[in-house]
Amino acid sequence: MGAIMKFNRRRIREALLVALVVTGVAPAWRSDAGSVGAATADGAGETRPPAAPDSLRFAVIGDSGSGSRAQYEVGRQLFGSLSVFPYEFVLMLGDNIYGPERPQDFVQKFERPYQPILDRKVAFYAALGNHDDPNQRFYQPFNMNGKRFYTFEKHNVRFFALDSNYMDKDQQAWLERELEAARSKWTIAFFHHPIYSSGARHGSEVDLRAIVEPLFIEHGVDVVFAGHEHFYERLKPQKGVHYFTSGSAGKLRAGNIRRGPLTAKGFDADYSYLLVEVDGDNLHFQALSRQGKLVDSGTIQASQAATAPAGEGRTR
Amino acid sequence: MTVLNSTLSLALIVSSLTVDAVPAAARQEPRVNATGAAVQAFQKKVAEYVKLHHEAESKTPALSETSDPRKLASREEALGAAIRQLRADAKPGDIFVAEFLPVLVEAVRNDFSTRTAVDRKAMVQDFPRSTTLSINMVYPASLPLATFPAKLLRALPDLPPELEYRIVGRHLILRDAKANLVVDFVRDVVPTIPS
Repeated sequence: MGAIMKFNRRRIREALLVALVVTGVAPAWRSDAGSVGAATADGAGETRPPAAPDSLRFAVIGDSGSGSRAQYEVGRQLFGSLSVFPYEFVLMLGDNIYGPERPQDFVQKFERPYQPILDRKVAFYAALGNHDDPNQRFYQPFNMNGKRFYTFEKHNVRFFALDSNYMDKDQQAWLERELEAARSKWTIAFFHHPIYSSGARHGSEVDLRAIVEPLFIEHGVDVVFAGHEHFYERLKPQKGVHYFTSGSAGKLRAGNIRRGPLTAKGFDADYSYLLVEVDGDNLHFQALSRQGKLVDSGTIQASQAATAPAGEGRTR
Repeated sequence: MTVLNSTLSLALIVSSLTVDAVPAAARQEPRVNATGAAVQAFQKKVAEYVKLHHEAESKTPALSETSDPRKLASREEALGAAIRQLRADAKPGDIFVAEFLPVLVEAVRNDFSTRTAVDRKAMVQDFPRSTTLSINMVYPASLPLATFPAKLLRALPDLPPELEYRIVGRHLILRDAKANLVVDFVRDVVPTIPS
């Protein structure tokens, strides 16, 4: 009985907040992550609006292609966020299609869960996971242009999609060459296997780290997104690079984070996804659960090198 | 006279040395780098396979970008069928040739020996469970393509983009990356990990 009353009080408070937001009496969101946000009628949950009108905005989903009910629920919430936080594209961190990859699997595990988003002409850019047939690179909606690893630029951000399943010499040489040539303000890499992770199931991919981390440092990679671990984790910056794991858009390994020295913020209680905005020198991020609850948020500043503690600053 | 004798003696000594040297040289086997030769033999077989792959590709619709997943599946299947037809008699060891196997096994064992017990266990846990393997089989959709250990990849001969190494259970396979076929395999290469 007490629990029901508590639930009802919360619902009433949220409804009141919605009314205040709609009428312009309350701010759209509060600044601390995890607080009650603007539970809007359009299903955006606690999604925060962008900080600037002309910024670059994108979403990040990992390990999405399970075809499960949860994937569809995350898809609906991701679409809900679009109304408050209009993102231009979505990064997919691998395991885009689990299990068989028959034509109907592409429909059930990608096209249908994200149909409303695809209908809005939002592009998806995929990286390959260990459950993905590399021939997904020929699937046009994944925008891989037939390549296992590729790069593209949006506004002032250069993105690198890597195939962490198979880091051969060709890919390493390509990465070094392309990073060397990159002249954008921000450099973001995304791939499947996290090189830093507090996951009990997999943990950090140290082999891969030995190869890519020196390149990330030498060439000023700012932010890295990875999946593979079925939870959300923001790691403490490692040698100046900011790492996120977001591998729970279609699979969840509840309670799998072994919180330790690497973890800045972890969320392994529900499915989740990320929204990111790059606005000049600032990169704002917000992690949301499939229920639309804000589980983490913050800002990474491009000018951290001058002010950050030793070992945590930018190298660019 | 003394000078002449000395000269003759020297000539005889030199001549005898030369005579002795020829048979000794003739007896010596030419020096061969056994590891290099084994890798070369493997690479020759890889090159032959790639030629066959290209022949199969020329007979089937090209795998190119499409938003229709049915075309993706049908093209992959068509390429696989063409390759199977061209190497219907293929058997294990056709590419992983016998002389290359010791090199391969040593590379894997060396790699594992440099890893901590925790790392080894984590790697093995990530490899897909063993399955019945056969040449020209389609890589099972039920098995993930576990990441290939990057350090080990550097210790093995480079492969062209048509082929890749993969590990299933304790077996190392050679997979056609476009046709999704197992083109060769070696059993029990990965060391057992004590539980």
